[in-house]
Amino acid sequence: MMGEAVASVLSAGVPLLGALLSLALWPQPDKLRICSIATAVISLGAVVGLSGYLTGPTEGFLFVYLLPIAAGASLLGQPVHPLHRSSWIMTLVFLGLGLGVLTLRGPAEQMCLIAIVDHTPLWPMSWWGIGLFTLGVACAGTSLLADPPLSSVTSLLSCAILLPLVPLHGGYLAALTRLPGNLPPFLAVLLPTAGLHGLAALIRTVPDVVAIGITVLAVVGGLYGAVKALAQSRVRLRLAYGSLSFFSMLWWFMAATRGTAPSAAVFVGAVALATSGLLLSWQVVRTRYGDDVDPQAVSGLASAMPSYAVLLSLLALAAIGLPPFGVFSGFVGLLLSAPVSFSIAILIILLVWLAASWYILEMVQRLLFGARRSDLRHTDLRRDELASLLLIVVALLALGVIPAHLIGPGTMTPPTTTDTGSFAWKK
Amino acid sequence: MEEVGRSIDIETRRMELRGVVKVAGEVIAQYWPMRTFVHHNPLHSLEYLPFEEAVRRGKQFMGGDGYLPSHLYRRYLNTGRITSAHLDAALKPLIHDKHLAIGSRTVTHGDLLRACLAEGICTPVVEPLDDQLPDPSNDLIDRLAAKLASVSTCSDLDGRIRSIAEGDQAALGRWLTLSHWCDDTLGTQIVRQINDQLIKWCEAFLDEGHATWPMPGREKGLYGAWKALAVHEWSPCGIEDSIKKISRLPDHPEDALLESLDALGIPAELRQDYLSLQLTALPGWAGFIKWRAEQREYAWQRAYPVGLVKYLAIRLWYARELVQQACRQELGIDGRYDSVTAYIRTHAEEYYLRRQRVAGRLPALYAEEVDRLAHQKNNGWKTVLDRYRAEVVARQEAAARRSAARKLLALARSLEIDAAQLAECSPTDLKRVVDWMEAFPESDHGPVWLKAFEAGYHDRLLGQLQQRRAEAHQPAQTRPYSQSVYCIDVRSEPFRRHLESVGPHETLGFAGFFAAFIRYRAWGKEHDTEQFPVIMRAKHEVREIPRSYLGHKVSKHEARAKWVAAGHTLLHDLKENVVTPYVMVESLGWFYGLPMVGKTLLPSLYRRWTAWLRRIFVPSIATTLTVDKLAPAETAEMLAAEQQATVRKALQERTGLRSSRITPELVEGLRQRALSGQGDPDPPLVKEAERAGLSMERLNAFAETLQRQYDLNARTASRHKERITRTGFTLEEQILTVDTALRMMGLTKNFARLVLFCAHGSTSDNNPYESALDCGACGGNEGSPNARALATMANNQRVRERLTKTGIEIPTDTHFLAGQMDTTTDDIHLFDLEDVPPTHRADVARLQEDLKGAAELTSQERCGRFPEVRQAVKGKRAEAHARRRSTDWSQVRPEWGLSSNTAFLIGRRDLSKGIDMGGRVFLHSYDYREDPNNRLLEVLLTAPQVVAQWINMEHYFSTVDNDVYGSGSKIYHNVVGRLGIMSGPWSDLRLGLARQTVMNGDVPYHEPMRLLTIIEAPRERIEKLIARHEVLRHYYHNEWVHLVALEPEEGVLYRYRPTGQWARIDG
Repeated sequence: MMGEAVASVLSAGVPLLGALLSLALWPQPDKLRICSIATAVISLGAVVGLSGYLTGPTEGFLFVYLLPIAAGASLLGQPVHPLHRSSWIMTLVFLGLGLGVLTLRGPAEQMCLIAIVDHTPLWPMSWWGIGLFTLGVACAGTSLLADPPLSSVTSLLSCAILLPLVPLHGGYLAALTRLPGNLPPFLAVLLPTAGLHGLAALIRTVPDVVAIGITVLAVVGGLYGAVKALAQSRVRLRLAYGSLSFFSMLWWFMAATRGTAPSAAVFVGAVALATSGLLLSWQVVRTRYGDDVDPQAVSGLASAMPSYAVLLSLLALAAIGLPPFGVFSGFVGLLLSAPVSFSIAILIILLVWLAASWYILEMVQRLLFGARRSDLRHTDLRRDELASLLLIVVALLALGVIPAHLIGPGTMTPPTTTDTGSFAWKK
Repeated sequence: MEEVGRSIDIETRRMELRGVVKVAGEVIAQYWPMRTFVHHNPLHSLEYLPFEEAVRRGKQFMGGDGYLPSHLYRRYLNTGRITSAHLDAALKPLIHDKHLAIGSRTVTHGDLLRACLAEGICTPVVEPLDDQLPDPSNDLIDRLAAKLASVSTCSDLDGRIRSIAEGDQAALGRWLTLSHWCDDTLGTQIVRQINDQLIKWCEAFLDEGHATWPMPGREKGLYGAWKALAVHEWSPCGIEDSIKKISRLPDHPEDALLESLDALGIPAELRQDYLSLQLTALPGWAGFIKWRAEQREYAWQRAYPVGLVKYLAIRLWYARELVQQACRQELGIDGRYDSVTAYIRTHAEEYYLRRQRVAGRLPALYAEEVDRLAHQKNNGWKTVLDRYRAEVVARQEAAARRSAARKLLALARSLEIDAAQLAECSPTDLKRVVDWMEAFPESDHGPVWLKAFEAGYHDRLLGQLQQRRAEAHQPAQTRPYSQSVYCIDVRSEPFRRHLESVGPHETLGFAGFFAAFIRYRAWGKEHDTEQFPVIMRAKHEVREIPRSYLGHKVSKHEARAKWVAAGHTLLHDLKENVVTPYVMVESLGWFYGLPMVGKTLLPSLYRRWTAWLRRIFVPSIATTLTVDKLAPAETAEMLAAEQQATVRKALQERTGLRSSRITPELVEGLRQRALSGQGDPDPPLVKEAERAGLSMERLNAFAETLQRQYDLNARTASRHKERITRTGFTLEEQILTVDTALRMMGLTKNFARLVLFCAHGSTSDNNPYESALDCGACGGNEGSPNARALATMANNQRVRERLTKTGIEIPTDTHFLAGQMDTTTDDIHLFDLEDVPPTHRADVARLQEDLKGAAELTSQERCGRFPEVRQAVKGKRAEAHARRRSTDWSQVRPEWGLSSNTAFLIGRRDLSKGIDMGGRVFLHSYDYREDPNNRLLEVLLTAPQVVAQWINMEHYFSTVDNDVYGSGSKIYHNVVGRLGIMSGPWSDLRLGLARQTVMNGDVPYHEPMRLLTIIEAPRERIEKLIARHEVLRHYYHNEWVHLVALEPEEGVLYRYRPTGQWARIDG
C-alpha cells in the first residue's frame, strides 16, 4: 500500500520535477525543449518501471503509458522558438497532473483533476471554454466534497467536459483550437483519457434514466460533431469536431453497456492519438507557412514533402478507422461488445464514421494533392518532426495489433449497482 | 420585303460569326485521330509570331510553360551539358554595364544575372508571415531585412487594389472569360462544370464505333443532338429551368452562339479572343472537332457533322447560364461583361478581398471573415479591409523584406562573398542588388537557358561535321554491294551507320512515303489508309491484291479469314451485349485467362505461338500491288464484277435463293436493270427470273431494292468508276515518281545490283500510341506499301527506258527491292522476293545477312538507352530484349520512338558518314549538283522539313510541359471513342506525347531544343527559297528553326540569323 502510494507520487512527480528544472533553462529555448523531451522519456520509463507497484486504473494501464508518449511526441513536433517555452513547461505540468489523476487514489486524484481543469482555461481566449472549464472545476470540487448523488452527478459532468459530450464540449474544443504551441496535440490525449478514467468508474452506477439521456446526447453529439466537422474550413476545428463525434460514439457505448470494455480504452486512446497526430501534422504546415495560414492556400505537398505525405496519409487512414490501426480495432471491439444488435443509434454511429472518412480524407487530399504551389518553399519533415509523427503512427499501429486485453482492463467490467428507480448513485 | 431583309441580315450575321470562329480557332492545333497519330506543333497556328512571343501566348491561352523548369536547366549546367561559356553568351544581350562593391568584391550586373540563373535565386517564393522553421541565418536575415527597411518604399495597398482592378478589367474578355472570372472571384467551379458537360457530350457524339450504345440523333449534328437530349436532363450543373431554356434555343447553332454572346454582353471587338479562350479550355476536344470539320469526306463527319460553331454554341450556353446564376446569387448583378466591369470598378476593395481569398492569399482569419461577409452579403468590406491594412500589410512588407534578404544571402553564397560583408553594405547598394534581381524574374530565364542549351548541342554536331569534312577524302567510285534508302526518321540513322559498317553498302535518306502519294487498301481490309504526309493530298489509289497464280487458294484464304472475323465479331457482341456477359463470364471467361497468362509471363513465346496458330489457320498469301493504271476495259470489268457480287449477295439475302439457282445471266440482267433504272425488264431477264421462281412484281421490287438499299444505280456506278480509274499510275506518272524520288535522294548514277527501298513500321502491344511509332511521312502508317509501289515502278522496264532519256541510266542488272524495318525490334522484312531475278539471289542472301548484322548492332545500341537496362546487352540478347519489349503488353516504352530528335541534315551522305549521331538527326540525302534549278530543295524545305519541325515541336512542348502540351502518364490513359485518349475516365482529349515517351523519370530523355536544319547548298539558293516561302520565313526569322548552310565550294558553315544575315561559323 505504501509502495503503491510512493510509486504513484513518483510517477506524477517526475514530470513536475522536470518542469521545475526546465524553468532554470528558460533563457535557452533549445535546451529547455531538450530537457522537456527528456523528462517525458524519463516519465515513460518511470511509469513502465513502477507499473508493478501501481494499482491498475479501471481502464487499464494503457493511458499511463500513452500520456508520456503523447507529451514526448507533441514536444518533438514543435519547432524551437522562444514563444513556445511556456507551452513546453505546461506540457510537463499537465503530464504530471495527468499521471496523478490516473495513478493516485482518493482526494489526491481529484485534486490533480481540478488542477488540470483549472489550469486549462488560463490559456484559451474563449469565454465559452473558460466558462465550461470553470464549471468543470466546480463539478470536480463538488464531487470531492459532496455526497452521492450530487457527487456522482458532478463527477459525470466533469467527465463530460473532459471526454467531450454535447453540450459540454466547448472546453475541449477551446483547448484544441485556441491553446498555443504543443498543448493542443497533448491535451487532445490528456483530456479524453482523464475523462474516461473518471467515467470508467462512474458509468457502472448511473441509473437508466441518466443512461438514456447520455445515449440521446451521444447520438445527437455524434451527428452534430460530424456535421460541424464537415462544415469547417479550419483544420483544428475540423479535427476537434471530428474527435467529438468519435468520442460521442464511446459515450453511446458506455451508456448502452454501463461498463468498460477493453476496447473502450483502446478506442479512446487511438482516437485521441490520431487527433493528436493530425494536429501535429497541421503544426508542421503552420511551422512552415505561418500560424494563420489558410488551409486552402496550401496544396500539392505530396511531391514536395514525401515523408510528410506518407505519415499524414497513414495518420488519416488511422483516424478514419481503417485497419490495422487502433481506431479500427477499438471501434470494432465496441460494436462487437455492444449489447444491442441493431438500432437507429448504430445506424447513426456508422453514418458518423463514414462522414469522418469523408472530411478527414478531403482535408488530407487537399493538402497533399492538387496543384503544387511553386511560390512556396517546401521543406520536408525535420528529424524531430519525423520522429514525432512516426511515434504516433507506431503507437496507433500497436493499439491496433496488440490484443486489447494486454493493454486494457482485461475483461468488460459489468455494472455493479444500478438503481434504476431513484437517483441515489453509489460512488 | 422586310422579311427578306431580315433573313439576309441574319444570314450575314451567321456568316460573320463563322468567320470569327474560324479565326478564333487558330489558337488551337488540329488533333488527328490516334490511329493515324500525326506529330504536330501545338502552337502551329502561332508560328507567324516569334518563338518567345508564341510561347507567351501559349501560356496565356492554355497555361502551358514554354521552357523546362529552371531546376532542370541548372541540372544540365551542373552536369556540364550546358557550359558556362554558352550561358554567358546567351546572357550577353541582357547584361548592363553596371557594377557595385560588396566588401572588397566588385559585383557586376552580369555576375548577378549569372548567379540568378545558376543558383535559382530569383525563384519567386512567398515568405510566410511568421516562419518558425529554425534557420541559422535568421539573425543575418533579420539584420539585412532591417537595412532594407530603411530604403524600401511602403507598398500602397490602395494602389495595389487599383492596379488589380484595372488589370482585370483590361484582361476580361481578352485573357479572362467571365466563367474564369467567377471562379477566381467567387470561388465557383464554372469552368470545371462546363468542361465536364462538354466532355460528356463530345465523348458521346464523336464516338467512332467504340461505344456499345451510340448516342441517338447524331445525324442532327452536335448541336442538334445535344439540344434533343439535353432537354431531358434535369437541371444540369444546377441550372434552373434548363428544360425550358434549352427547348427555347434557336435551331441554328450560329443563332444560339450569337444569343449567348449577346447575353454575356461580349463586345464585338472582343468576341474573337473570347471564343479563342473558350476553345482553349478543352484544346483536345476542340482540336479534334476542328480537324474533323475540315475533313468533309471523312465518313464519320459525313454521317454526324460537327464543327467549332456547334461546339461553341453549346459551351457558351452553359457559360451564360452559370455566370448569370453565380453573379446574381453572389453579387446581385447581371452576369454580363459590362456589369462585371462596373462591379470591379465600383467595388474595388470588395473585389480585391474576394480575389485574395479565392487565391488563398489571406490569413485564415481574414479568409473566414471574407466568407462570412460574402455569405451574409454584408457591407463590412471596408472595415475588414481597414483591419487587414493595419494588421496584415505591414507584416507582408516585413515578410517581403525577409524574402529579399534571403535572396541576398543566396547571392552572397553563390558569389562566394562573406555574408558578414553583405551586412556591412549600404542599404542603397543592397536595394540596388535586390532591384537587379527583381528585374530578371525567373519567368525571363527560359529563353536564356534554351539558347545556352541549344548552343552546346549545335557546337558539338557542327564540330563533328566540320571534322568529318576535314578528314574525308574523295572515295573512288566503286559499285557498292547494295544501296538502301531509308526514311529520314531519326531511328534510321543508327541502322544506316551500322549497315555501312558491316559491309560496303551505301545508304540514303528519303521521306518514307517515297514520293508515292497513295491511298492504300490492304488485302482483306475494308478501310483505306492515306500513305503520305498529312499536309499533302492523295493522288493515286493502290490496292493490295493476291497474285494471279494463286487461284483457289485465295477463296480458301478469304473463307478462313471470314471465319476468324466472324469469331471476333461474335465474341465482341457477346461481351458487349446487355445480358450475355453474365453467362459468358462463367462459360468462356477462363479462356481469356490463357492469353492473360501468356502475355504477362511469356510474352515472346505467346506472340510466336499465336502467330503460328494464325499461319496454320489463315495462311498468308503472296500479294502484289495495283501499281499500273487499269485500261478502260479492265475498269469496266472490275466494276461489273463488284456489282455482280453485290447482286448475288442481295439475291441471297432478300429472296432466299440458293446459290445453285442464281445464274450468271440472272445476275447480269438484274445488274443492267438496276443501272438502267426504268422501263420493262428485258425478256431474257424475265425468263431467267421465272426459272428462278421470281415473279414480275418481285423482280421489279427487287430491282428497286438494289437501287435504293444496295446503292446499285447509275450515279453510284459512275462515282465508283471514277474511283477505280484513280487506281494505279499511268506510265508517265510512274516515270515522274521514280525520277523525282531518285533525283531528290541524289541517286542518279552508280546503281548497285540491289537497291532497297526500306520503309518502317513498329510492333507493340497494348499501346494506343502505336501509330506514333510508325512512319510520320506516311500519315502515321507503316510505309511498306509506298516502298513496294516505288520498287515496282522502278523495276518497270518501260519506266527505265524513259528514265534513260532524262539522264538516269539504271543498269539492267539493278533490281529494286522493297522492305520494311520494324523500329521496335530492328528486324527488316523484304517484300516481293519472288520477283527477284534468279541472278540476284546470292546478292539478296548477302544483303539479308548484313541487314541482320546491322539490326543486331542497332538493337545493342538502343538497349543502352533504355533506363532499366543497366548493363550492356550484346548480340542476340539485345535482339531478344528488343523483341520482348515489343510483345510486352505492360511495357509503357516499347521504344524511344523519335525522342531526342534535334536536327535535320539535308546533304550528301559523305558529310555525315561514320559520325555517331545517336539517332537524333533526320537525314535526307540531297545532292545540290543534281538540282540546278532549286526545285528539289524547295520541296525538301517545304515538305520534309515541315514534318521534321512538327515532330520536333511536338516533342519539345510535350517535354517542357507534359501536363498541358503532352498527354501525361500512360498509366492513366484510357482510349475513348477509338479516336484518342483521356487521362482517367473523364478528361480533355490528351494532346501530344505521353510522359514515358519523352521523360526518363523526372529528367527529360528528349532534350527539348528547336530543330537545327543543316543544308549543303549554296547560300544564295537557300535565300531565294526563303524569300519565296512564307513558312520558311516564319521558321527562320521567328526562330522556330535554326538554319545552318554548308557552303559546298568553300566548305564553310554559315548560320542564318533571324535578321536575314549569314554569320560564318568558325571551326
